[in-house]
Parts: sequence; structure tokens; C-alpha cells
Amino acid sequence: MEMRNGISRKALRAAAVLLVSLLAALPGRSWSQEMTLLNGRMYITLNTHIGERQLDSFVVHYDLGDLDLREVLFKHKYTKLRKMGWRVEAEAHNVIQLSKQIMASGNMIDPGKRMGITEEHPTSADLFPAQNDNLVYGFNKFVRKFPFLVRDSMVTFFMRGHRGARQVLLAGSFTNWQNAALSMSPTDSGWTMVVKLGPGKYWYKFIIDGGWTPDPDNELSEDDLRGNINSVYYKTNTVFTLNRFLNARQVYLAGSFNQWDTRNLGMARTIDGWRAELYLSEGTHRYKYFVDGVAYQDPNNSQQLPDGHRGYNSVLRIGKSHLFKLKGYGSAQEVILSGTFDDWHEHELPMKRTETGWALSYTLGPGNYEYKFIVDGKWIVDPENPYFVRHEDASTDNSYLIIGPNHTFHLPGFDSAQRVYLAGDFNNWTPDALQMKRIGNEWVFPIHLSVGKHLYKYIVDGKWIIDPSNPLWEGNEYNTQNSVIWTEH
Amino acid sequence: MKRGALVILLLVVSADTWAAHHDPPIRKPAHPFTITLDPIVTSDSATCVLPFTKAGNLILVRAKADTTFGYFVIDTGTPNLVLNITYFRRYPTSNPTESGGVTGAVTNAAQTRVDSLYLGSIKYFHVDADMIDLGHIENTKGVKILGLLGMKLFERFEVIIDYEHNLLYLHLIKGKEGETYASPLLSDTSAYRVVPIELEEDKVLVHTVLKGKKLRFVVDSGAETSVLDSRLPNKVLQSVQVTRITHLAGTGSQTVDALYGNLKDMQIGEQTIASLPVLITNLQSMCDAYNNCIDGMLSFDFLTLHKIGFNFVSRKMYIWK
Repeated sequence: MEMRNGISRKALRAAAVLLVSLLAALPGRSWSQEMTLLNGRMYITLNTHIGERQLDSFVVHYDLGDLDLREVLFKHKYTKLRKMGWRVEAEAHNVIQLSKQIMASGNMIDPGKRMGITEEHPTSADLFPAQNDNLVYGFNKFVRKFPFLVRDSMVTFFMRGHRGARQVLLAGSFTNWQNAALSMSPTDSGWTMVVKLGPGKYWYKFIIDGGWTPDPDNELSEDDLRGNINSVYYKTNTVFTLNRFLNARQVYLAGSFNQWDTRNLGMARTIDGWRAELYLSEGTHRYKYFVDGVAYQDPNNSQQLPDGHRGYNSVLRIGKSHLFKLKGYGSAQEVILSGTFDDWHEHELPMKRTETGWALSYTLGPGNYEYKFIVDGKWIVDPENPYFVRHEDASTDNSYLIIGPNHTFHLPGFDSAQRVYLAGDFNNWTPDALQMKRIGNEWVFPIHLSVGKHLYKYIVDGKWIIDPSNPLWEGNEYNTQNSVIWTEH
Repeated sequence: MKRGALVILLLVVSADTWAAHHDPPIRKPAHPFTITLDPIVTSDSATCVLPFTKAGNLILVRAKADTTFGYFVIDTGTPNLVLNITYFRRYPTSNPTESGGVTGAVTNAAQTRVDSLYLGSIKYFHVDADMIDLGHIENTKGVKILGLLGMKLFERFEVIIDYEHNLLYLHLIKGKEGETYASPLLSDTSAYRVVPIELEEDKVLVHTVLKGKKLRFVVDSGAETSVLDSRLPNKVLQSVQVTRITHLAGTGSQTVDALYGNLKDMQIGEQTIASLPVLITNLQSMCDAYNNCIDGMLSFDFLTLHKIGFNFVSRKMYIWK
């Protein structure tokens, strides 16, 4: 089918040239980069004086990585671009404009293909998800307004007042800040915008007629260490309700997630009692309610674990559970699981007797954990687990468990090596514990790395080496080097 | 309307005479020697309530096609019953039709027929079906999908989808109820807005207005993202705030570029959608099939939905506020 408005190609091109010339000729106006639609074509308009950093941010935002716009803009090389069906519409003093016809997608009559084409591809929110690594819990503190309305994963951001503003934008970590800032809609009492967010922590600001401001009704804010104060929003995933103690003066929630701080997390009064909404990370959380200073278990939760003081804590499990197993020891009276995940408690996690030994299912979030079994008072490592960690001050090793690995170490080559191990700060530099596997022409090992800096080395047939493919290293106390890796959000 | 060419031909007993169909369609089957053009549909109770589950934005309900039981996708964007060929290979098929443009059937899809289709208390008999490979959707959703329940199966129904309780209300509108039937869920008229719809070639069409220009959208429960035709006039395209480029399957192994964006201030009935996320692509292939073009597809996520409903007999769409 022909273009619907029937304007000739030549005329369109002339119009585009004119438009670009006009843009370039306007004095005192620095043109921002943009992507637009016109006459069935997509247009990219770029200021030729754009900085590399700004161009990178433009490319990331619009997902234009395969166009190699650096080559186009800084070296004037157009061959690759033209091969991809793009044409240079106009190039004036300050502005370059590229365009490409939007061609017909596959046969949309075929329901399978139509559904494939329209299925959800990642959005900018998916590309910039919640930043939850190292985050155990979080809760919102709004004043003068209710917390943002949440329905399923849709959060209605609300800015009170400013009814006279011409435009209010919502910019946050979920919009890649200004790059995909969202235009808020005016209401009777302020401005709103609905955003799809997964559970976790986000940062945001409002842009009112061009001026950036944190949310004045949100008590949570953080300095991004680049000179900006941003409001913090937690998309929560857990609701605690206590439908009693209506006459109490104050009720606090405290648990393993906030180091049992009994004055940190005040619950809100409701018609039926008390309520608190939290973001909680994956794992097993213990908690109690503190009603005017007196501790109570959650009456609505039958899940509990011993608190070590002849009482019990209520327990909440989020995420998948891991089955700890110990074969044999049929004559033992008692087997306890103990590890970094429960602060090495010696009585909290009794294992259950099975036909072949002992077992306990326990929920853990992504991370690396150390643990042991206590068989009738005697600490032993897990005989079935090849991974362990050695501590110089301890007489025996601890078993080592990796849940939800997020990084894989690769060491190519070393074809004739017999054994290759990985060691680093994440396993207390235990040299012979994390044996790498030979896959194809490289040695690999998947592990979980928390956000931040990590040091590591490989041990190839007993010889310590740094990672030959990693240019980052630093010196150590043995006058050799350690490879350096940074894990970012 | 070319409905007669679209609907499923059905021989109730042994009539081997085929005849052309003319409007209006015959809505009451059951005379032993009549030829009827819709699948026979009966229901044990007036209203059938089915739980549904969601995979992405797709609505999945359990149904039984002959002896095969499992999830089907409610797909208002497809005319027919569609079977996933993986699970129905043993079925006899007729030659693929090339006449997709007229019938709305899937071009080049093999045709078959199921003797019975059970959806809750609703029973369909002798339903023509297209057979295609839905493996890609299964793979991305991680759910076994037996097929798609297309529009023809719902044309005599009031359908209300309650997202808050994950329930699907189906009411077979009998002849005497005519166009006056309304579910008790519709008794509070202040809770929802009514938008007129059209049924054309077994597609649900809704008219929208953008900057004074009227646009025709297919209301498509099988589409996870709303879609806008890239060939629309500039007045419409200028209302799109482009967010990024994406690459879609084109013909064969080729990919074609398309855009994601937010369509600003589109009106549906009395309601203005401030910002509608859309995929912008060239919908040429939709024109080929229906002889006139549609301007886009409206997926069900266009609002933060509480409930959405349709009366396909009185041609109304209900959007809860």
C-alpha cells in the first residue's frame, strides 16, 4: 500500500532538509538528540557537537547499539549505516538526521506470529530494574500523603500540589532518569503517573517545569555521591498485619532483617489494629511484634523457630528453599543445621529424621553461605558437598553453599592442566576448594558475587596465577598480584 | 459483511449439501437437516464462571478439545479455534487455504475439525479449527498451550474478565434475551464505561479518536502490547513519543526494525488514555487479509484493569473505572 498522505518522496526529502536547516539556523538553541516518526519512517536527529558520553546515553536509551553512531558522527563513515537501510537525510552545520522506512513485519494474520511480535519485550523499566543486591529490607516513610497506590506491579506515583505547573515529569532509576522521564497527569490535588515496578529499591525525583526536586512528602532520600539528593521508593512485597492491641500506644516490628531494632520500624494504626508494608529480600526472616515494649509472636503465622530464650520467633520464608541432607547417622539423637544464614545458632534448626538420614528444607536468597551439621553436639562438615572454606583460626573447614550464582569465572586454555581451582575473598582464599570444570576449551566456575570489589586468583596444578584475561590487578602482601573484579548494580 | 464466508461450516447430521450463506446468520441450529454456519453451542447453565490464569498478559483457561485437556489462550484477535499442531498431529487435515484475505482463516494453515470442545459448562460441537505451530509462545511463556480460542466461539456471548479475582464470566445469550441481556455485574452503571464495538470478519473493532482523527483498532486479547500502524498520517505519528527501537521477525529469517513509544491522549469513548505504550510497525499484512486496513491493535493492558467486558450480541465493550 502506498503512503497514505500521498506526498512524494522528493518533497518529503526536501522538507526534511529544510527542517534540519531551520533547526541548525536557529540561534542560541542547542538541539537535544531525539528519535521521531514521520511519513512511515523513523528519524534520528543528532547534534553533531554531541559529546561521546551524551551519545552513549542516547544509544543506550533508544537501543541503537548496532548502528555504530560513533563512526557516523565522529568519523563520517556511513557505509554500514546505509547497508542497514538507513539514509542520511540531511547534514547541516550542527545537526545530522538519519531515517529508515519501517518495513512490514511478518504475517500478522498468523496468530502465532502475531503473538510473537506483540509479546512483551523488555521495557526501560526491565532494563533498569530494582537494585536489590545487598539489600535485606526496606520500607517507605511518607508524610502528609498516603503511600503510593499499588495494584499488582503498577505503582501510582503522586506529587501533591503544583496544580499551576505546565509540565511535571517523573524521573527515576526506573526511567534511566531524564532519558525516559515520564510525563505525569494533572489531578484535582496534584500529579500522578502509573509505573510498572518489580519489588525492590528505586530512586526518583520530580521535574516541575524543568526544575528537579525530590518528593517533599517522602522522608526517605539518599545522596548519590554525585551531588544529587534523590527520593527513595521501596516497591514492597510483604504486608504485616496485627489485628489486635487496638489500645496500644505504639507497635514496632523487629526481626532478623533489621538486627532486631525494636524502635526502627513503627507500624501504622488501622481500624482493626496495626499494619506495616516492607520490601524483604529472598530468604528466611525471623520477627516479632513489640507492643508497648512487650514482644509477641505473630498470631496469624504458625511458622516459627526457637528464639534461644525458650520462646519462638515467627518466621517468614521468601523464595525457593534448599534441601540440606545428611546421610546416615541413624543412631544420632539430634542433628542441628547451623551456618552463616542463622548466625551459627546451635539450637534453632533441628533436622528431621528421614529413611536415609537427616534432612531440612531452608529458604535462602542468592549468596554464598557456610554451614555445618551438629550431630549430638559434634560439629561436622557436609560429607556430600565438595565445596568448603578454611579458616585459619578454626580446626575444621566449613561446608560452602552457592545459591543463585550471578557470575561465572572463565579461564581459557591450560588444556593440559590436571586441576584448576578458583580462590578469592569470597571463599577466604581457600586454595583447594572450588574446583573449576573443563567445558570446551576453558575452565569455568559459577559463583555469587555481592555488589562491590572482589579479589581472586586461579590455582593451576598448584601454581597461583592471576586471571590472564583481566587487565585489573593489584599487589598483595606476598609481593605478587591479585586480580580485581567489580560487581555493580 | 462477509460473515457467511467466515463462519464454521457444520453439517449437523448427514446433510452433504453445501449451500451459500447469506446474512443474517442462522443462530438457532438443531433441526436435523438444516445446515448451520456456527458451531453448535450449548450450555448447562446460563452463566458459566471459569477461573483463568495469566501468562504475561495472555489469559489462559482450561478447555477440552475432544479428549485433550489443557490450557487455551482467549484470543479475540483470531477468528477461529486454533490448535497447536504439536498436540493434534494425528488429526486429519484438509489442504491449506490460500484465501486468508476472505475468510480470515490463517493463511497456509492446515484445517481440521474437533468433534467437541468443552469450556466449563459450555459445549461446542463440530468446530472447524486451524492448526499451527504455537511452540514459540509455549517456549517464551513456559506453559503448555493447546491452542487459541478465537472470536467465533464467543460471538453469542457476554464475556466479562475480572482481573481482580482471575475469573471469566461467560453468558450464552439466548434468542429471547436478544440485545437486552446484562450481567448482574453490570448493575452498577457508574462503575464502568460503555464503548460501542463492531464485529467485522470476526474481529472486534473499536473506534478511537486522536487529535480529531478517527482510528480503528482491533481489540486483541492475544496481543501483549498495543500496536500502531507506522503508515498512519503524520498528525497521528506526531502524537507518539518514541522510546526505543526494536527488531521484529520479518519474512523468513529476516528481521525488521520497529519502534516502541507512548501514544499520547487517545480517546476511547468518553475516556482519554494519557499515555498508551505502543509498538509501531507496518501493518501492511493486516490490510492484505481484510481488504481494508486497521490502524492498530489494542491489547488488554491499555488500562490498569479491574474488569473488562464485552457483549458481542449488542456490540458493547465495558471498561471498569
